[in-house]
Amino acid sequence: MEIAVVGDEDFVLGYKLVGIRKTYPVEDEELESVINDVLQDTGVGILVLSTRSLGKVSAGAKRRIMASSHPVVISVGTEEEEDLREKVKKAIGVDLYRS
Amino acid sequence: MVREYKATRSELIELKKQIKLSTTGHRLLKMKRDSLIAEFFNILDKAKGIRSGIQDKYDRAMERLSIAKAIEGTIGVKSAAFAALENPEMELTTKNIMGIVVPEIDSRSVKKRIDERGYGIIGTSSRIDEAAEAFEDLVEDIVIAAEIETTMRRLLDEIEKTRRRVNALEFRVIPNLESQEAFIRLRLEELERENIFRLKRFKEA
Repeated sequence: MEIAVVGDEDFVLGYKLVGIRKTYPVEDEELESVINDVLQDTGVGILVLSTRSLGKVSAGAKRRIMASSHPVVISVGTEEEEDLREKVKKAIGVDLYRS
Repeated sequence: MVREYKATRSELIELKKQIKLSTTGHRLLKMKRDSLIAEFFNILDKAKGIRSGIQDKYDRAMERLSIAKAIEGTIGVKSAAFAALENPEMELTTKNIMGIVVPEIDSRSVKKRIDERGYGIIGTSSRIDEAAEAFEDLVEDIVIAAEIETTMRRLLDEIEKTRRRVNALEFRVIPNLESQEAFIRLRLEELERENIFRLKRFKEA
């Protein structure tokens, strides 16, 4: 199985250098449809998304994307991922990420 | 959903059965919740470490890439990227933690030697190699984080669901059933007393 990368042009380039073939540089308008296509692709095991792109999709779509377990979705980027932290706070009741 | 119960003995027996079932369910769900939380704490430390690691590696990789782009030009980096060989492969399987399906990722090493990367060594500068290396580092971490973070997400979803169920049973369903039971019991006792009194009056008359 392969890794797929979705994000803007700059984000994707580095992964291409590693040899990842399924890289999709996208504009904001086609973002959701491209992500959907990748989620349908059975050859993809991990989908790497830029945090910036993930922030662009609607809340419902985001929930759906993060709930996918095949492929597994992970977001990487300059902005810190607050999503998981919020989830921990909600489920456990304490902010465990505070150090 | 509150059902109206008639004050009869058979309803009382039915209610008692329901209360018993609800308390057993409540106890089991509580146990499930506690062990899910224990499982969650097991991976929490790993998840915390890996997130900050990714952040650092991402920043470093982007910096290296920018340097490579500045020196080689965007076109140069892109052409090296097009020549890059060997797609990092991995195996995605699933594993079951207390009924929750979580991913398990087995990856072969992403790291390559310079001559395995596919683009010419002579035609490109070492900046591109550095960028590629930084990204290989990053991708390795991403693969690990993908497994851990998805597992965490699944666990958290399940914890929330279970917690909601436990609370609903504890604070709504069971108290409701118990108050209905008390009502029927008292009503039946009342009927009993009325009956005795009635019989007494008959006897006197």
